[in-house]
Amino acid sequence: MFSLPGASNFEVFALWSVLAIAFMGLGYALLLRKQVMRCDKGTPKMQEVWGGISEGANAYLKRQLKTIVPLIFLFTIILFLSVYIVPPTEESKLRFVGYSDESLKLIIGFGRAIAFIMGAIFSLIVGQFGMRTAVQANVRVASASRRSFGEALKIAYRAGTITGMLTDGLGLLGGTIIFIFFGVASPDTLLGFGFGGTLLALFMRVGGGIYTKAADVGADLVGKVEAGLPEDDERNAAVVADLVGDNVGDCAGMAADIFESYEVTIVSTLILGVVLYTLTHELSWIIFPLMVRGIGVFSSIIGTYLVKENKEAKTNNALNAINKGFYTSAAISILSFGILSFFYLHDWHSFLSVVVGIILAIVLDEITKHYTDGNYRPVKDIARNSKTGAATLLLKGLSYGFETAVWQTVVIALTILSAILIYHGQPVVYVLYGVALTGIGMLTLTGNNVAMDAFGPIADNANGVGELSHLDKDARKIMDGLDATGNTTKAITKGVAIGSAVIAAVALFGSFITDVSKVQIQLGFDKATQLIETGIRISVPMVFIGFLIGGVIPWLFSSLTINSVTRAAALIVEEVRRQFRIPGIIERTVKPDYQRAVDICTVAAQKELIPLALIAVLSPILVGCLLGVEALGGFLAGVILSGQLLAVFMATSGGAWDNAKKTIEDGLYGGKGSEAHHAAVVGDTVGDPLKDTAGPALNPMIKVINLVSLLAAPVLIAYQKPGQVSLGLITTGVICLAIVTGAIIFSKRGGFTKYPTLE
Amino acid sequence: MKNYIYLSVTPEALIASMIPPSEFGEYFATGQKKRNRGQAIFFEIDLEQVKYLLDFNLINSRCVRHSDGQPKHTVYLSVYRVLEKIPLKAFKNLYLTTESGITLELKPSVYDTNNELKNVLHFYQELCPVTPQIASKLTPSQFLKTITDESSPLYIPKLFFVDLKLGELAVDPMKGSAEQLPYLYVSHLRDCLVQLKDEKGKSMKTVQRFFNGSLLYRTIESGFYIGDKDNILYYPYPTMAELENINFEFLRAI
Repeated sequence: MFSLPGASNFEVFALWSVLAIAFMGLGYALLLRKQVMRCDKGTPKMQEVWGGISEGANAYLKRQLKTIVPLIFLFTIILFLSVYIVPPTEESKLRFVGYSDESLKLIIGFGRAIAFIMGAIFSLIVGQFGMRTAVQANVRVASASRRSFGEALKIAYRAGTITGMLTDGLGLLGGTIIFIFFGVASPDTLLGFGFGGTLLALFMRVGGGIYTKAADVGADLVGKVEAGLPEDDERNAAVVADLVGDNVGDCAGMAADIFESYEVTIVSTLILGVVLYTLTHELSWIIFPLMVRGIGVFSSIIGTYLVKENKEAKTNNALNAINKGFYTSAAISILSFGILSFFYLHDWHSFLSVVVGIILAIVLDEITKHYTDGNYRPVKDIARNSKTGAATLLLKGLSYGFETAVWQTVVIALTILSAILIYHGQPVVYVLYGVALTGIGMLTLTGNNVAMDAFGPIADNANGVGELSHLDKDARKIMDGLDATGNTTKAITKGVAIGSAVIAAVALFGSFITDVSKVQIQLGFDKATQLIETGIRISVPMVFIGFLIGGVIPWLFSSLTINSVTRAAALIVEEVRRQFRIPGIIERTVKPDYQRAVDICTVAAQKELIPLALIAVLSPILVGCLLGVEALGGFLAGVILSGQLLAVFMATSGGAWDNAKKTIEDGLYGGKGSEAHHAAVVGDTVGDPLKDTAGPALNPMIKVINLVSLLAAPVLIAYQKPGQVSLGLITTGVICLAIVTGAIIFSKRGGFTKYPTLE
Repeated sequence: MKNYIYLSVTPEALIASMIPPSEFGEYFATGQKKRNRGQAIFFEIDLEQVKYLLDFNLINSRCVRHSDGQPKHTVYLSVYRVLEKIPLKAFKNLYLTTESGITLELKPSVYDTNNELKNVLHFYQELCPVTPQIASKLTPSQFLKTITDESSPLYIPKLFFVDLKLGELAVDPMKGSAEQLPYLYVSHLRDCLVQLKDEKGKSMKTVQRFFNGSLLYRTIESGFYIGDKDNILYYPYPTMAELENINFEFLRAI
């Protein structure tokens, strides 16, 4: 079954070792889960509160499954049948020597479909299991906070690490299994794996983002602003939905997002690696990135384990402990990559590319921290501007958001430049491979990054549980400290998520060019017309149109997403207002119906998601069909550029406004209730849907568009003969245009649900 | 069930209630059916000391449990010129309630005028019965004496006020930093302080004529004062560090 012609003993051993490490990562996740589950759940009151959150989380996850499973079924069939439109590659014939064309189609068709299911299920596991674990952990963290900060930190971080280990363990497992079975024919099936993970990530990230903000905005608008109740007041019917939303958005959604980037970078690197193997007959192009990822999982296990209990730990030490774990993992990884390169590759190009990726991750972390952390000048500036009102505060935040987008894009450009310099003098496919390797390097420490991110909602929820169950002052102070640390780590990892999405998209863009060229070669296109030779020519009007359309897609997506949040929030506002009118709620003699608010958010989020998913999936198909494959390349470039700038801007501005508000609430400029605070609340309310919904939604959107383009490109080449008009493609394009237009109109009108107008 | 008597200073009212102070504060700030908004500042009054002022027929007939057994939250006894009629010896603890309903209890303390800071500028928010903001060279006890001086055209028989933070402006109104001060129209405040410092004969200047109903608890300098021409009661406000230990929820709420 396993065939890797020309592989040395070391390479065979390395491949199986990588598989073993993937399982090790998963085993570590299970071990940590056992440790977390052994911890106590606190008082009956805490468990009662937690029960509500747990119930709400389960309801959301069940509903999400109901929405997603039919789509998985539908796309599995489409991917299986796609092999009859896009025949298997020459590499498949090399791998499955002796099989007839029909048998080969069946093998590849089943391979693609199963890979898709695997990608989808793995993404689902990462999101759902990660979220369930986070929910299990939050009450245990709250309970531990009654004893010590160190113990609470340990439980919270290890629970976050479970999601981290699932992310990189499953991502590595999927890519490695596919390669072990399909060998050089992997590209045929890897796209299915990538698409499965990406599609699910889109659902979880976008749906989760809409849910979390609808619950948050709804709870705050009525609870805090109208009724004057404190944060997480038990009389607020949306408070449980708000706490569930923290997990849905920041845990499940983010984990699925980074899992998607993790596997997509493996997919694109392996695709490019196979191209280079075909040129050079060296398997190291394929084995090395897998080994790098294996080492990354291993070093993440060590690094995350180092974030240990220290009974005297205070807030600053918590962040230091987390950073110490991160940098330890980075150091182990870089050292190991160097040794591997020296003894295996006998070459430094790939090593340097991977190291550039790690440096990129660290630099993006630092840039995000600089612009969103309250200890640095930008947030202090924004807070200071709150004294002159909401307008000046908003303007300052906008300004810093724009600035961050510039620096992050410059850093990514420098990363790509470094790939060019590292592979200077080599054909362009080497440079594309170098870029893909930076993506591999960047996400080497995914275990740590996701742990840092998932830690945030766990700490946030623990604080909510503590608030609702009236824990004592010392426990509340500990949870406040953890929550503050979690806010910092959440903001930082958002920067990495966006950066990794862009690098993954750029790597996929490289795969797009090579894949299209491969099909063009198969079909006998003239060398001068092959995409790998011509590149994507922006000077060609049709390509420029594709570029422009690509540029607007992230804006359209963001506009519709923000609208979705507003509409869903309006439903929650109405419900909370209705419940406040029930006699006994304010007096605390009657408990609100928390589950009703959870249900409203869940249903609204899933409904709002469908038009957005249609736009992401169909827009590249319609551009490719109507404008051509080169224009589709321009479209991708436009999506990547515009999406990157917009995502960074929204995440940073939102994060900065949020932290400016927090610094004021900590006592600056008069604290809560001051005019400065009122202005800051406006900024935070504006920024929240940007940083938690619209911004993060762009990450999976960019990757879905890229993967659909990759899947569609061979079809477009096959049917789009130069100088001829394909009626089939035009018809397909027009149908897609009609569906996309309908989806936009449908989304703007809020679908079939009658939404109240916010008073 | 015990009845309580409260003197609300924002707005001025004498209220009978069946609920204890922290519950009263929460109710008064957040309301229930009517869903009030806004912070509450009130004293608990010693019922024994004001017996002669109260209409017990009204209290006994109206301050009774509801038909569902719930206690009566408020029975308004008077809403006009209440403070001047209540003797100082009747004032028990002072309660500050946030907009979200969290209450802090302040106990009265002996006021030692020897500990007053002289030669610095002060910033007072009068809370009852009038509510201007006043910049002054006078210490709290001097200020109270001036306001309650019967010979003065500004005479008020009894005054309740709080002193607010000025930071560096207390010593150097011209060049001191006002960065951390959250007041609206800080430049106007600075101008008033400069004028006060420069004009020898002037001891007070009105900064704002009215109170918007929301006192920023984080801007309180030393505490609250209530008194007449002869006596002063002082309710010291805890530091942030003390507040963390005394009432963590209140600290989080402000």
